Amino acid sequence: MTPVTALTLTLLIPLASAAGIAFFLRRRGGLASTLSVAAAALLCICSFIAINARGDAAIVASWDWLSFGEFKVSMGFLLDDVAATMLAMVSFVGLLIHVFSLGYMKSDKAQARFFGGLSIFMFSMIGIILADNLIMIFVFWELVGFSSYMLIGHYLETEEAKAASKKAFIVNRVGDLGFLIGIVLAYWHFGTTDLTKMEQLTLGHPELVNAGIAAFLICGFIGKSAQFPLHVWLPDAMAGPTPVSALIHAATMVAAGIYFLIRISFLLPVEVLGFVAWLGTAVAVYAGFCAYAQNDIKRILAYSTLSQLGYMAAAFGLGYPGIALFHLITHAFFKALLFLGAGSVIHGCHHEQDIFKMGGLLKRMPITAITFAIGVLALCGVYGLAGFYSKDAILIAGGLEKTVIFILLTLGAFLTAGYMGRLFWVAFLGAPKSDAASHAKESPLTMVIPLLILAGLSVVGGMIQLWPEGLGALIRFDLERLHHAEGYSAMHHDVLIYGSAAWVVGLLGAFFFYGVGAKDDRLARIAPSVFAFLKARLWFDEIYGFYVSQVQDRFAAILSFLDVFLLRGLIIRGSAGLVGILGLGVRTLHVGNLHAYVYWFLGGLLLFWAFVGTVL
Amino acid sequence: MNEGLADFLRGIAATNEWWYIMPEILLAVLALGLLVLELLSPAIRKHVPRVAMGGLGLILALLLMVDCSDCMGANGQSAFGGLLQSNEWSHLMRVFFVFSALMVSYLGGIFLAGRNLAQSEFYHLVILVAAAMMLLVQSNHFVMLFVALEMATVAFYVLVAYRRTSSLSLEAGIKYLILGALSSSILLFGIVLLYGAGGNPALPGASGDSLNFDALESFIALNPDNPVVLTGAMLVLAGICFKIGAVPFQIWVPDVYQGAPNPVTAYLAIASKAAGFMVLLSLLHGPFLALQDFLLPVLVFIAAASILFGNIAAVMQRNLKRLLGLSGIAHAGYLLIGVAASFTIEWVDNAVVFYLITYLLASFVVFLVLSLSGEGDDADLNIERYANFSREQPFLSGALTCGLGSLAGIPPMGGFVAKLLLFVAAFQAGLYGLLGVAVLGVVISVYYYFGWIRALYFNGSSVTALGEASNAPTLQNRFVLCALVVAIVVLGIFPAVVSLV
Repeated sequence: MTPVTALTLTLLIPLASAAGIAFFLRRRGGLASTLSVAAAALLCICSFIAINARGDAAIVASWDWLSFGEFKVSMGFLLDDVAATMLAMVSFVGLLIHVFSLGYMKSDKAQARFFGGLSIFMFSMIGIILADNLIMIFVFWELVGFSSYMLIGHYLETEEAKAASKKAFIVNRVGDLGFLIGIVLAYWHFGTTDLTKMEQLTLGHPELVNAGIAAFLICGFIGKSAQFPLHVWLPDAMAGPTPVSALIHAATMVAAGIYFLIRISFLLPVEVLGFVAWLGTAVAVYAGFCAYAQNDIKRILAYSTLSQLGYMAAAFGLGYPGIALFHLITHAFFKALLFLGAGSVIHGCHHEQDIFKMGGLLKRMPITAITFAIGVLALCGVYGLAGFYSKDAILIAGGLEKTVIFILLTLGAFLTAGYMGRLFWVAFLGAPKSDAASHAKESPLTMVIPLLILAGLSVVGGMIQLWPEGLGALIRFDLERLHHAEGYSAMHHDVLIYGSAAWVVGLLGAFFFYGVGAKDDRLARIAPSVFAFLKARLWFDEIYGFYVSQVQDRFAAILSFLDVFLLRGLIIRGSAGLVGILGLGVRTLHVGNLHAYVYWFLGGLLLFWAFVGTVL
Repeated sequence: MNEGLADFLRGIAATNEWWYIMPEILLAVLALGLLVLELLSPAIRKHVPRVAMGGLGLILALLLMVDCSDCMGANGQSAFGGLLQSNEWSHLMRVFFVFSALMVSYLGGIFLAGRNLAQSEFYHLVILVAAAMMLLVQSNHFVMLFVALEMATVAFYVLVAYRRTSSLSLEAGIKYLILGALSSSILLFGIVLLYGAGGNPALPGASGDSLNFDALESFIALNPDNPVVLTGAMLVLAGICFKIGAVPFQIWVPDVYQGAPNPVTAYLAIASKAAGFMVLLSLLHGPFLALQDFLLPVLVFIAAASILFGNIAAVMQRNLKRLLGLSGIAHAGYLLIGVAASFTIEWVDNAVVFYLITYLLASFVVFLVLSLSGEGDDADLNIERYANFSREQPFLSGALTCGLGSLAGIPPMGGFVAKLLLFVAAFQAGLYGLLGVAVLGVVISVYYYFGWIRALYFNGSSVTALGEASNAPTLQNRFVLCALVVAIVVLGIFPAVVSLV
């Protein structure tokens, strides 16, 4: 199997699975889930074959998709080291989450729809990873948007899921509009949207890099990775099934925004990078605060995801895309672990999601609790675990480049440890605080095994730093650049102290402040105004709601009026009526009389004759 | 061995050009073989449809194999003293016609089942028509062209009136016969004028073989303004306009399409039209090349008139086969855009062939669903009969929606790309007015195509007459429909698979 064949298979296997489920297995949930998991396993194998066959050179393959004259749209694969790293992560974590879903969704009524959605998501996500030009990225970008919409709204009988899926879709549209404008401008500016060609152009002529185009392009990232000011959809998206939150809204799709930035990093000038760094830092801190006012286990994790995406964006903006990618990968491991752990808890507690109604789960669900604890420690950046290496590198980069960002990110690390500690102490220790929690049982094997594998990866995932050949070229390059930067050893020392202090103080602070297995939120009790402020999340949702109801709805009402009266009434009905009358007239020409038809022919000949005689 | 005999045989071998038309010969042998089978015994007679389709399938596979192994002669190779000449399309069109014949035979099997009509003769005629059309698109000589055309047309006279127990079918047959004969005479008269002018020793470039396209091309290049040549070209054009059903020679289309049996209507709509267009293209790129200044306005006029007439007349049409006929006129108009643009745009011939291919696939989907959903007399199928069809027949409805979507030119169906390519060609050729008319026509066509789709899915009433009356499609029919629909979608998403785009 050639590498290109393997990549094509990687892309098409999930599509085939989705098509098979949609056409034949809609009422056969069991078969559909088997097919989808088998497809995920196969695509995982194919992707590893392709990555192994890659060697050091990138795999490039391109086909003309449409061409007329000068204008060509091609589609193709570009599997460089960044794409290979990402592909390996997505296919492997995707497989684990597929397996987990087998257990989690077992009693769901619409299993087939769910697994079909997972397959179409894998197809679209792998498309984004492999795409070699902006147009193709955009196509798959929209497809992941669609699959995300479909899966968030899986429990479509609940109002919450309906509203959340709509919100995710619409908010993403806002970002994608900017993205699309950026693509058009890029095509206009460079004459191509091919990544390799654009990179060569900008290498030869650095003055071609344009801040305006870059600003439009990163709108796509802001929407998909849920950054300011389009972050509002991600917490609501937790209305979807938990495996979906793990796969789409933690490990892969939201990270696609960061991946996209790395893919187009040669198009981004310094000003835009600085903006991304500040944006990421702001989100990292903001989301950390918001998480304190959430009681839903998944929403806490969602804000944590937001905050970690902020870290990646900050690393990227500081000029270290490799470190952003490194954190993306380690984050995928431990955040998928945390979400799946949360899923296991929710499954055990019969869909109870409030942490203040759990408690005592360490005894009842020991494997879930221990793996969850490993995830918490990895996320907090405990020495030696996955999150330590990548977060450490980000903090060092911050310290070397911009001290303010360093301070804010360290604050963010402290906040992270605080809210994760709150979550863990309250939900897993102490005594059960509801019937559901006291009857919780350890989850079945299909759910536990992915947890164990991900826990292993969360432990060793960062140590790959010590084995540089195993890292992708970009990560290796950026890490080495960091390690040889001026003032690295002093900063490394500082970060080690501050970073460790952040998680120790955060976890212990949460332990003493909230207490083990607390029944209610102590912050809400002693300082309700602070809690309410945090809960309001800077009133973003209210502001958007106000804008929509006061401005957009009125504008829409005017458009609707125009539509009903002018378009539908006059233009459409009117022209349809006109064509109808003409049609009746023309129909009467077909009298069915053979004589008349012969005269038609003669009339036609006369008409042609008129052309010959140049009368017409 | 006798030296003289060996020389003689070598001489024959050197001029042996029968290999050149081997696919056509095989088809003729198959057609005649079917009649022999019919004679043998009633037990064997049952297998005639299977033999016909199997034979067609084998020939199709053979053609595809030859195509893939790339051992066809070079373009422009001529045979039989210049009667036939291969061009870049001739091989693809052979595949096209054999595939059409195969599909029509398949439809014919459904149509003939349970009807007290002759069986073998139907397949015999269908196969002969395919062979004739294959010769037609390769002809490089007006005698060859006329003979091949008549061979196809005469077979069609019989096929149109095949359901001889139905007065509508007979009426369609007589109309097609009389109007076809009229158009043939017009065509023949045009050929005669060209022959006379081309053989006139008083004119420069006159030759003894002025029916040969090459000779005629060099002759017309020297005499582009000769009124006899112009009149002759016009009359030939009129004859072809009858075949492709373009205004002002479209008037027969609805009546004949309605009366003819379903498979024959499909055959007329697809293969007959395709043959007409390929002949038109080879004439315009060959003998009539020098007349382009004069032919362009005529073609633009015919195209615009066909698009408007076909679409507007179809809007109020409730009978489905008449509707397909009228929309076929509009499709001929879109294709004529490509023909008109082909004078200036190099690649538009590919677009025309691509359009024909997508039209073939989509039309067969529609006709197959029509055949499967009709019960009894299929000439009376109205849109109203399809009310709520999807409730009883979701599979057929889905396939029909894809087919109609492609005919209307909705992405991601192949028909969308095909229309897009033709419109881009019109734009590049500067035919802006025609482009405007075409876009208007497409908008109107969406109205009636989607009217039909709407009837399938969203009809308020609870009538499901036709859906209940139709049987669920067999596995075989499902497979054929699935394959056609997949082909349509693949062409729409990845048009480069046919190496035309």
